[in-house]
This record gives sequence, structure tokens and C-alpha cells, in this order.
Amino acid sequence: MALKTLLPGRSPSVAPARPVSGRDRAERKLAFRMTAPSLVIMALVAAVPIGYAIWLSLNQYSVRTAGLSRFVGLDNYVAALTSNEWWAAFGQTFLFAGLSVSLELILGTAMALLLNLAFKGRAVLRTVVLLPYAIITVVSAITWQTMFQPNMGLVTNVLSTLGLPGGDVVWLGEHGYAMAVIVMADVWKTTPFAALIILAGLQVISAETYEAAELDGASKWQTFVNITLPLLRPAIVLAAIFRTMDALRVFDLPFVLTRGANGTESMSMLAYTQLRENRLVGEGSALSILTFLTVMVVSVIYVRFAGGNIRDVAKEEQ
Amino acid sequence: MDLNRPALPLQTRAAPPRNRKALASAAIAAAALVLSACGGGAAPQGAEQAAAADPASGANASGAVNICGVKDASGIYKGTAEAFTKANGKVTAKYTEIGATTDEARTQIVQRLEGKSTECDLFVTDVIWTSEFASQGWLLDQTKLVEANKDRLIPSTVETTKYQDKYWGSPFFTNAGLIYYQKDKVAKPESWQQLYAEAAKAPGNGYVYQGKQYEGLTVNFLEMLYSAGGEVLNEQGDVTVDSQETRDVLNFMSDGLKNGSADRAVLTYNEDPARLAYESGDFGYQRNWPHVYRLLNATPLASSFGVAPLPAWEGGKASGVLGGWNLAISAHSTNQAGAVAFIDFATTPDWQKHVAMDYSQAPVNEAAYSDAAVLEKMPFATELLASVKGAKPRPISPVYPQISQAIYKNVYAVLSGTASTEEAVQRMAEEITAAKASF
Repeated sequence: MALKTLLPGRSPSVAPARPVSGRDRAERKLAFRMTAPSLVIMALVAAVPIGYAIWLSLNQYSVRTAGLSRFVGLDNYVAALTSNEWWAAFGQTFLFAGLSVSLELILGTAMALLLNLAFKGRAVLRTVVLLPYAIITVVSAITWQTMFQPNMGLVTNVLSTLGLPGGDVVWLGEHGYAMAVIVMADVWKTTPFAALIILAGLQVISAETYEAAELDGASKWQTFVNITLPLLRPAIVLAAIFRTMDALRVFDLPFVLTRGANGTESMSMLAYTQLRENRLVGEGSALSILTFLTVMVVSVIYVRFAGGNIRDVAKEEQ
Repeated sequence: MDLNRPALPLQTRAAPPRNRKALASAAIAAAALVLSACGGGAAPQGAEQAAAADPASGANASGAVNICGVKDASGIYKGTAEAFTKANGKVTAKYTEIGATTDEARTQIVQRLEGKSTECDLFVTDVIWTSEFASQGWLLDQTKLVEANKDRLIPSTVETTKYQDKYWGSPFFTNAGLIYYQKDKVAKPESWQQLYAEAAKAPGNGYVYQGKQYEGLTVNFLEMLYSAGGEVLNEQGDVTVDSQETRDVLNFMSDGLKNGSADRAVLTYNEDPARLAYESGDFGYQRNWPHVYRLLNATPLASSFGVAPLPAWEGGKASGVLGGWNLAISAHSTNQAGAVAFIDFATTPDWQKHVAMDYSQAPVNEAAYSDAAVLEKMPFATELLASVKGAKPRPISPVYPQISQAIYKNVYAVLSGTASTEEAVQRMAEEITAAKASF
């Protein structure tokens, strides 16, 4: 699919209204020849591995006898789609993505608005807020694990000292609580990333728009709802796309924090277990392809939605 | 870019129409080349066709030997390689770290073996990898070598290298669970029932173990199951886990969490958090590995803790699960004689003493445990030997990872309260049966 849209002369913007002349054809051929080397490279680095993974997912490779394999068609997919594990992981991954991405967007917008204000030390603060994002996920996961450790973790200790609920909870050992910790760890780490994208969106909104609103007597809240938010939408949607695609592939947080226990196993973890731990190459590849398709469908929906949005905004601006 | 603008003179020299086709077929050919390179396409080749190591070859060995394995935290691998090089004179050995954790090392080893790499002559392998690697035809058959060295090796440790009646590695050092207990608060554990009863008596007496959903939970569960007389697979390899013993042990463990014998926090503990919790002084018993001894000695608990072998099940006998590391010779090694010479050196009674004295690991030679110099460095050697000798290997199967998952996921479900014992036992048996039927 990706290749098709890349082929020159197929894009709707260059679809000619008049009959194709010999000159056009020659020109297209040249364009094709000039892009061919990069197309071949793209095919090699992107299409070939994906194609190979699809091929693997249609086979079974023996874990008992070396070198033995058999073609099973869609059996691996049928097995995955009829298993409880896949649907549990599917639901859990979407729950995680939904919760963490919404929180990240809300907090990220708030953070971007703050960082956009003119104050002393703004440059320093902009760098500092990025720190969580610079920490390797596995390292931050271990930190969160330590903080929520029963009896001696920072969070559990503070909660029980203050007499608040949650102090005597084994956070990573209970359904719901375990997911909450994973969502918190993700929000802490990636909100700065969302904030940065949204901040970039904020900075392209011209000061004149705000001046006009002020002259018309709009309140701060009206300005925010009617000017800032609509104009910020493309940036927010962009942040949402990046974050959702990342969140749907979540692996390191549940892997370190719970090993998938207590309703936190993600689609990627399931594929990893089959591929790496069990060496079930066919079954694991099918799970990877299913994860890939899920992420792709979600991002296509997003891009459609965002595309319309960006066009609307462009029209309004004209 | 506007493609409809007037063409430049350069472009009027139209390319012949077959060019596009030629390009496409070139791309397909390139893709096919990559695909076939990845495929390998070797004929089936398993344990049956494996070559055997010659025990006599070690004497005339020369050249270099490369030993590969996990990060050398205790220094034992590099230390042994150096000592061997010095003692041998003809063969030089070096140790290459190919993974920071056990899981990573396994991935790296599997990649090298699948790719028929000649980089490593010897692999340091976890005891649970033996059957998987052997079944793939990746290792040299060490039966003759092990038979020749058998009188100096503890039998239970040799069993961990066995698959289909042959030996695929030589034990290097072993590992077995121990109970650490607070002598000032609780009694020495004689049986699991007594330990749990004692642990429930007072809030500070509790028992900590490894109850997170991972391999460690399989080990903790099997230690009790074996002592209760249960098993996962029988001698013939049939699934026998659906038994009264399995139900008894699961009920016992989950009751222990409910009545306060064990803190619910164990559901999140692997080795280190369990040790840290115990070091806080709020607990009476801890199940952990021998390396914890040295660490506990550096805490305020140094004078008050004791070490005991794993207890017996009431009415049963004491048992346990063997850990530890074996030396396996790669089927693609270019210096098999050198590898044999290294194994000969590493398993000598004399070097096995150093394994304990210099690196605090459990020797595979029985005499080392009663050596005066060893006992001075490792005062719990007698208890450790009892644990090692009573311990059994984990289920032996090329699909062991799947079997272990079936165990720890279902045990965890019972402990965390999301499944009843009955459901869990049935599911465990079903999943192990399905795993064993893997293609």
C-alpha cells in the first residue's frame, strides 16, 4: 500500500484533465527512474522484513526438531483470534492507551500553556521538564516499582503515614491498581513530549488573533475555548497520533513492573513471549502482525480525522 | 512539483518501456536473495545426529577456547578461564560476556547457535536450557566425558544435563534454595507446615518468598510440590500434575497468604525485593539463594540470622529444585579438544573448592563442602549440600519455557485470588499437555 501511493503519477493532485501526451509519459518515466533507487531501498528495508514476517506467520516451525517447518495457512491467526489471551491483551492494551493518552494530552496542554507564558527562567524550565522523557523507560519502570513497593516504597510509606487510603495496598499485586501504576509511569514519562508538540502549535498562533479577540472584549476563557483550542487542534491530534501508536505497542512498562500479571499483559508482550521465550516463531509472528495491523488501523483512522481537521483550519484561516 | 510543465531537453530521450519491468524484476530478485539468506533451509537435524565429545582429546589440546555466557557478576567465569590458562600452558581460554541478564544471554546464545556461529566453543548454560538446546542438535554429546568424570560430580547436578538418556553438558556450579530465618524470633524450619504456623504467630514472623508471576514462582512452587511427593511429568514424560499433591500445595500456599503466614506483598517479589524486605527486620523467614548469605552478613541482622536447608512436607521428605550453570560445547566449535580440557579443569575437586571459596558459588563436587578452608568462607556449606543433594531438576522438556509459564501463571492466579485451586490445576494440566504437543 505504502509503495502504491509513492508511485509518481498516481497521486490525485497530478491527475491530468487532458489526454496524456507523449511528453508527459516520458516525464513520468524519468521520474520513476529517478525515484527507483530509493524505492528499491525502501522495499528492502521496509517491505521485505514485513513480507518475511507475514511469511513466517503462515508457517509453523518445530520447537522439537531442528529445521522442521510446515505451511499452515491462517491457522496461527485463527488460533490467536480464538484465544482468550489475545482478546484479554487487546482489551488491556486499549484500556492502557486510552487512559494514558487522554491524561497526557490534558496535562500536556496545561504544561504547554504554562511554558508559553513569558517569565524568567523559561528556557531552563523548558529543558528541565523534558528530563523524564530522556530517561530510559526500563530505568523509570524500575524506579516506579521501587516507589510502589509494599511496606518500604516511597508512595506506600507516604500514604500510610498520612493515613490516606492505598498505603496498605500491594499496588503491583492487585487488578486495577497495577494498571494505575503503569498508566502513571507512562504519563509521567511522556507528558513532556506531548507538551512540546503542543507548545510548538501554540507558538504559531499569531498574536494579532489574540489582540483582535481582546478588542472584541472576549474573556480569557472565551479566548481559550474559541481561539486557542481550535487552532491548537492539529498539534493536539499530532501528539495524540504519536502517543497512541506508542501506547498500543507498550512493552517495557508491564514487562518490568508486573510481567503481565493482574490484567496488564499487552499485545506486544504476548508476541514477545511466544517469539522469544517459547521460540514459537510462526505463532509469535502472527501475533506481531495482528499488533501491527491494529496499530495501523488506529493510525489510519486518526490520519483521516486529523487530515479533515487540518483542512478545516486552513479554510478558516483563509 | 508540477509535472505538466514543459519538459527539459534531457527528458525527451524517453527510456525504453521495458525498463520499469526490469527494475521490478531486479527488486524481486533482490528480495528473494534476502529471503533465502534468512531461511537457512537446512535439513532436519536434531539430538540423534549430534556428534560426541571425546574425553581423551583434552590431554593433547592446544589453541584458544572462547567461553560465552551471561555477565560475570561474581567473577567466576573470567577467574576460571585465567586459572585454566595458567595451569594448562597450551590452551588459552577467555570468557566473553554476551548478555547482561539470563534472558538476554539465552537470546544471544540461541542466535549464535541458530546461525551456526563458530565464535564460541563453550556456552555457560542455565540448567533449564539443556533439553531445548540438545533437541535442536546445537550441542556436542558429552555422555562419554560425563561418564569419565562421574565419580567427582554430585549425581543430582549431573541429572540437569540429561536429555533422552544422554548428557549434553557438564555441571560447573550448582544452586539450591535455602531458608534464612531469625533465630531470635522463630524456630529452625523442620517442615513447611511448621514454618507457616510459626510465621503466622506474630506480625514480625512472616515468611517472604518469590511470588511474582515469573520463573522464580515456578521454582518456589515446585520446591513444595516435590517435597509433598508431587511431580509435573513422570519418568515417561507424561503430564501428572493434575494430582492431589498439587491441590494440597496450592491450597497451602493460598491459605498462607490469607492467614498472614506470608505477606501479600510477595506477589510482587522476585529475588531482590524479597531479600530487601527481609533485611528490614520485619520478617521471620525468607526463601532465597545462597548468594544472599554474604549480603545478609553486611546488615544489622548478621548476628541473628540462621541458614537451613529447605524443609520437608509434613509426612514427606525434604526436596528442592536445582539451579546452577552447566558447560555445553557448541556443535560448531572449532576447538572441541580445548573445550574438553577446560571442562576437565573446571570440574576438578581442587578447582571446585575455589568455586566456593573465591566466588561463593555451590560446588558440584561433594568433597568440597566438607573442606576446612571452604567451611571457613562458607559456614552454611553443610546445609547447602543437603539442599543440593535433595533437589531435583525442573521438568525436562524442549518446551520447558511453555511448561513453566503454565505453572507460574496458574499458581499466580490462585495466590492472587483470580482462580480457584480446581480451575488452576485443570488449566495447568491442559496447558502443559498442549505445550508438550507443540509441533
